[in-house]
Amino acid sequence: MTAITASPLVEVRHYRTRSRLRRAGRGLFLAVASLLFLGYVLAPIVWLVSSSFQSEHEIISKPPHWIPQAPTAQNFAAIFAARDSSVTYETRKARDPASGGFIPSTASNLLPAMLNSFIVACAVVVLNLLVGVPAAYAMAKIHFRGRQASIYAILATRVIPDIALVVPFFLFIRNLGLLDNIWSLIITYLAVTVPFSVFVLVSYFESVPDELDKAARVDGCSRLQTLTRVYLPLARPSLVAVILFAFLASWNEFLLALMFTQTPASQTLPIVVASFTSDFTISFSFINAAGVLAIIPPVILALVFERYIVSGLTAGAVKG
Amino acid sequence: MARIEFKSVTKRYAGDVIAVDDLKLEIRDKEFVVLLGPSGCGKSTTLNMIAGLEDVTAGELWFDDQIVNALPPHKRDVAMVFQSYALYPHKSVYENIAFGLRMRKVAAAEIDLRVRDAAAKLEIGHLLNRRPSQLSGGQRQRVALGRAMVRQPAVFLMDEPLSNLDAALRISMRAEIKHLHTAMQTTFVYVTHDQAEALTLADRIVVMKDGVIQQIGNPDDVYERPRNMFVASFLGNPAINYLEGTIDRAGGSPVFRRGDLAITLPPKLAARVAAREGQELVLGLRPEDVCPAGEAGPGMVLSGSVDSVLPVGSDRFIGLKVEGRDVFVRVDKEARHREGTSIQLGLVAERLHLFDKATGMTLLEGTSS
Repeated sequence: MTAITASPLVEVRHYRTRSRLRRAGRGLFLAVASLLFLGYVLAPIVWLVSSSFQSEHEIISKPPHWIPQAPTAQNFAAIFAARDSSVTYETRKARDPASGGFIPSTASNLLPAMLNSFIVACAVVVLNLLVGVPAAYAMAKIHFRGRQASIYAILATRVIPDIALVVPFFLFIRNLGLLDNIWSLIITYLAVTVPFSVFVLVSYFESVPDELDKAARVDGCSRLQTLTRVYLPLARPSLVAVILFAFLASWNEFLLALMFTQTPASQTLPIVVASFTSDFTISFSFINAAGVLAIIPPVILALVFERYIVSGLTAGAVKG
Repeated sequence: MARIEFKSVTKRYAGDVIAVDDLKLEIRDKEFVVLLGPSGCGKSTTLNMIAGLEDVTAGELWFDDQIVNALPPHKRDVAMVFQSYALYPHKSVYENIAFGLRMRKVAAAEIDLRVRDAAAKLEIGHLLNRRPSQLSGGQRQRVALGRAMVRQPAVFLMDEPLSNLDAALRISMRAEIKHLHTAMQTTFVYVTHDQAEALTLADRIVVMKDGVIQQIGNPDDVYERPRNMFVASFLGNPAINYLEGTIDRAGGSPVFRRGDLAITLPPKLAARVAAREGQELVLGLRPEDVCPAGEAGPGMVLSGSVDSVLPVGSDRFIGLKVEGRDVFVRVDKEARHREGTSIQLGLVAERLHLFDKATGMTLLEGTSS
């Protein structure tokens, strides 16, 4: 009799212990997996930042120093000093003590290229929003003839790899007389980014109920006012996604920039940084310092919009 | 404060789907009109055309003495309540209600006055600072009503506003909407597929099917004198019973026959079927139009076997098998019928309906009246 009454209790206790263990095990697994993933993602960036504060001599030491033993800001100083002078084969050794005196001959192009990159990226972001937002609203909410076809056409352009477009783009830009002009980059980057922006915004606007659109219009909004007063405030997470995407795509773009820009007047950051690797001498510490400068604007952008990025990730997960 | 008139209005969507076909309808000033029909009957499209949210494909739509076919919604003096409430999720309750007034550049003091007044009437004054996501369904419904009310529009449109509420709330909101109509003294157009809502609220009901008006009339008209079998079966719950049969004049006065069932038609119906001997007709019997067999006249008795007994508190429904047909009737809750037994019930002569089987049209009205 006692055995019969005791056994369910023992069973329950066993069950509880087992489920507690299982939960703890799962937690441990997730923690380890997250740490591994975090290391995988962060290690290159940590090394980039760390090595930019090291001398050339320290960078190549074995084992590598994750934390600089003799931190130096000379790499950065050299970047800003390079602005005022040109480097030749003869003068290349006198610049950056940290790199043993070597800096790339194109070092003075770095800061102007950063400015070019920034102008291009900002222009692409602004024009993306100006074109993408109204286009997406129209495609999502106005039932015009050929609506589906135009959405598919826009999507189809994203299937074509950029490399296939290089030659047609080149001829197009040359005929416009825009070679070696940052406008050539703005125009071609728009062609590449706008379809994606429209696609992101269309899918968001489509998820906003039609009745909200109708309510706004009955309440006294014209189409444009409906867009600005109801849709844009609601679409903030998607807008942030579009801004980040357009900015990063332009900031990082290499192939088209390589084709259309020949001189520092229009060269962008990726082109100039890449040129450092094919110079008289290769200075790792200098290149890494340039790399740190190159990631600063995207990082700032991400920090500014961080709040919306998170809400963008969870948008639609919970019914409002 | 507006009369709405549809002059042969047609709405055709891409792909040649006709949503509304040759609609002729006049909605009088300050009238409460309910558009009633199953989903896809064109009632919401009709409402959207009044609001200006859908284009009119052909025909003319008039507000008073102005043709409004091309007038965009924000230039028409209409307010609308939606089934999903369609509150702006990023605005507080206050701003939701005030938005329509802000868009019309009403002075801030006036807006505040009207918003608080409407909120007090709807008993949502304490919710003004909340977001729609923090409200219950019933509260959202009230905000949506408030948003339309403060506008003091010429036309008040409602698209199934109560469908998302639970049953008890729906009934109390019906009363409030009726009260609102009296208080606002403006034209109401209300879309629903719920016949009980239509019967409770409407001055006139417009029954629609497949984009075509089936009948227009006050609630009594459409319930008591349905023009066709669709209208008859769409109104009333449980639905009207239909028995197909033929007219037989063997004994002098016309008799409706179906198998062993013979119902002597009262004089009013008899006159209507004078020329229809031998034709297939449909007898319509509403569940409540029966009485104990002893109270009915001769030849007005329905016999059948009890198939099911469904008490609903206030009274009982019984399912009968009559000549191979299921017939639902409502009886007193004191009546004790057992399943499987045979019973007889009397018919209320003046409340029977007769329809032409081929066309589905009623035989109770028309040229010979």
